[in-house]
Amino acid sequence: MDMVSAFSEVRKERFSWRNWSPARRREALWGLGFISPWLIGFLIFYLAPMIASLVFSTMNFELTKPDGATFIGLQNWQRLLNDDTMWLAMSVTFVFAIISLPIGMISAFLLAVLLNSANLMGRSLFRTLYYAPTMVPLIASTLIWAQVLNPSDGWINRFIEIFGFDVRGVDGLRWLNDPAHPNLVFIAYSFIGLWTIGNAMLINLSALQGVPSELYDAARVDGASWLNRLWSITIPMVSPVIFYNLVLSVIGLLQYFIVPWVLTGGSGDPEGRTMFYMIHFFKQGFIFNKLGYGATLAWLMFAVALVITVMLFGSARYWVHYAGDSRS
Amino acid sequence: MSKRYYTLFLAVVLMMLMSISTAAQERTTIRWFVGLGAGTDAPQIEAQEAIVEEFNNSQDEIELVLEIVDNDQAFGILSTQIAAGNAPDIVGPVGVRGRSNFPGVWLDLTELLESTNYDLTDFDPDLVEFYNIEGEGQIGLPFAIFPSFLMYNEELFDEAGIPYPPRNYGDPYVDWNGEEREWNMETLRELAMILTVDGEGTDATMDEFNPDEIVQFGYGTQYTDIRGRLTLFGAGSFADEDGNAQVPEHWQEGLDWYQKAMWEDWFYPNGVYGGADFMGGGNWFESGNMAMVTIHLWYLPCCTWGLEGVDYQLAPVPSYNGVTTAKMHGDTFSIMESTDHPVEAFEVLTYLLGEKANELATLYGGMPARLSLQPDYFDTIGQNDPLAGRDLNWDIVVAGMAYADNPSHEGPLPNLLEAEDVYNTWTGNLDNDPDFDLDAGIQELIDALQDVFDEAQ
Repeated sequence: MDMVSAFSEVRKERFSWRNWSPARRREALWGLGFISPWLIGFLIFYLAPMIASLVFSTMNFELTKPDGATFIGLQNWQRLLNDDTMWLAMSVTFVFAIISLPIGMISAFLLAVLLNSANLMGRSLFRTLYYAPTMVPLIASTLIWAQVLNPSDGWINRFIEIFGFDVRGVDGLRWLNDPAHPNLVFIAYSFIGLWTIGNAMLINLSALQGVPSELYDAARVDGASWLNRLWSITIPMVSPVIFYNLVLSVIGLLQYFIVPWVLTGGSGDPEGRTMFYMIHFFKQGFIFNKLGYGATLAWLMFAVALVITVMLFGSARYWVHYAGDSRS
Repeated sequence: MSKRYYTLFLAVVLMMLMSISTAAQERTTIRWFVGLGAGTDAPQIEAQEAIVEEFNNSQDEIELVLEIVDNDQAFGILSTQIAAGNAPDIVGPVGVRGRSNFPGVWLDLTELLESTNYDLTDFDPDLVEFYNIEGEGQIGLPFAIFPSFLMYNEELFDEAGIPYPPRNYGDPYVDWNGEEREWNMETLRELAMILTVDGEGTDATMDEFNPDEIVQFGYGTQYTDIRGRLTLFGAGSFADEDGNAQVPEHWQEGLDWYQKAMWEDWFYPNGVYGGADFMGGGNWFESGNMAMVTIHLWYLPCCTWGLEGVDYQLAPVPSYNGVTTAKMHGDTFSIMESTDHPVEAFEVLTYLLGEKANELATLYGGMPARLSLQPDYFDTIGQNDPLAGRDLNWDIVVAGMAYADNPSHEGPLPNLLEAEDVYNTWTGNLDNDPDFDLDAGIQELIDALQDVFDEAQ
């Protein structure tokens, strides 16, 4: 018997219902019973809509004319490739991700390092304060930021003016909509994104607290500087958590929607720089009611997110260190 | 009581209970969807609930169920309900734009009007015809109308030392030198510049005026899209008679006027100032820092609560090239074509548009479309907050009906939803880019609209 056949036999033995004892069957039924709420929820609220959306992507399904839906094969996919706005939206999303991802990741990590420092007085207070913005609904905080960044009377421009710069009004710093400097909006949005790094900071903080202090003691004895300790001990030790935050952040950025939608209503101003992929998807599916094409856009983003996630997992073996794992 | 009588008694009680429950079950449920227009503010919700309760208590055939959805979500929710085959029976109040977003889903009332001999003599025939849409039929009946007018802040005029706008359509404007001028867009522009002030108190007619520090604006066409803004220059449409994209000549002149107003004369809030806190975050007139706006009747009860203690008044909409156009909003209640109970839905509709017309119109701030209800309307609305105690020039509102826009600035366009997106995005460029090339931009707009129109075919 070769190896494959042997494994097959073992699997058959292990998973064949008929070979199980009554007690084991009962146990399995109980197990299924306990996880059935989740399974049913998954089937109804995730799997079924996913399959439905895949079917919709082959139809000219309009939300307000469901009876007029017909099968059109791959026409939506063909349209996708010729859709200039889709390519614009995809590029905008990636450019913003490239700018915003390091800013958010590094800020959350450094903030966690700072809040983990034994030299910081009132650590609990600061941890609460830095986490607090995460508790504010994003729509509310975005509306507040719209005023804070307002070019004529926003606090940021007023603050900068204290230093003698003339940044208010028409020729000033128009953070959210400057046709002459449209890329400025990426900085503004990244800035707004910092408001919500509380969760990532908290996860980093918990990982930092799990790093054994003996490692630092040993490094100090060896004369390692703070930077050396950070680079050679802290980062490798918390790399699984950094990886976790990275995957969540990338997926979150690919789904970036609320901030640009609240601030621009989906106009893409300035100069199309805020026409993020999800904005385009939402408009097609739920504003223009073209659910068939919207479903196609959603599946493309699913595929892109899947590829990126697989690539990230593939890269993990080179830089993520798992304690007790052969990869470490 | 013997066992037999006891059993009989129980059987009778049971039968009575069953008959009551059956009677209750026999009531036809009619769902009334509110959210595409007015009706979502807290006081309005309460009043609508009371009307529903009163209707349900008044008869035992129909169970009216109120569904109130926030305006921001209403389009999406109604679309989803239609897609899911779970559409409501009646939708309203809904304006022209709200209805235009759902072409082909409304019931043609013609048969019901004929079979019930519904009396239409209390409506202006032109207004009834307004709801008779080609290819769709009589999709609604007039309920409430919202003429537009110019509102001005008397205190800002007093501060600038200039006379108020005229009080009647056709009257000239008598300026600070006592000279009479035609009340037109040019006169409005001159006044608006004087009323636009920077942080140093300098107005927009002066050389030392600083456009980076404007604290008060002269004029704005509030709460409308570019079609509404351009209607001041005459009614028009982005689609010609053949359905091709166009920007009518008078609208092109209007665009030039707005561009100069925002970026040369500075009296109209451009994108930099439009959403600023001191401009009320978009409710410009209520901020107290806007001297004049053109706006509809619904604005007064809905959005002027912050003007307590501020004197304002109503005036005619200025003319352009000798023609006055005061854009009009009209609300109705419509029945959805998918309803399983058109007769019952029509009964509810006639209740809302008949017995409850005055109450609902007052609630939503609209002028009743029924001619018999119009004389008392302003007395009623003027007694309620936030308008109580004000001596507003209501004659202007009534007179404005004669200058309504036709075609409507909210009228249908081929592929309306995408067309709206195209011209709104384009307007964003006009409002935000001081270097916007208007001539090239107009051609780009026509091309982009044509693409969208073509897609509809």
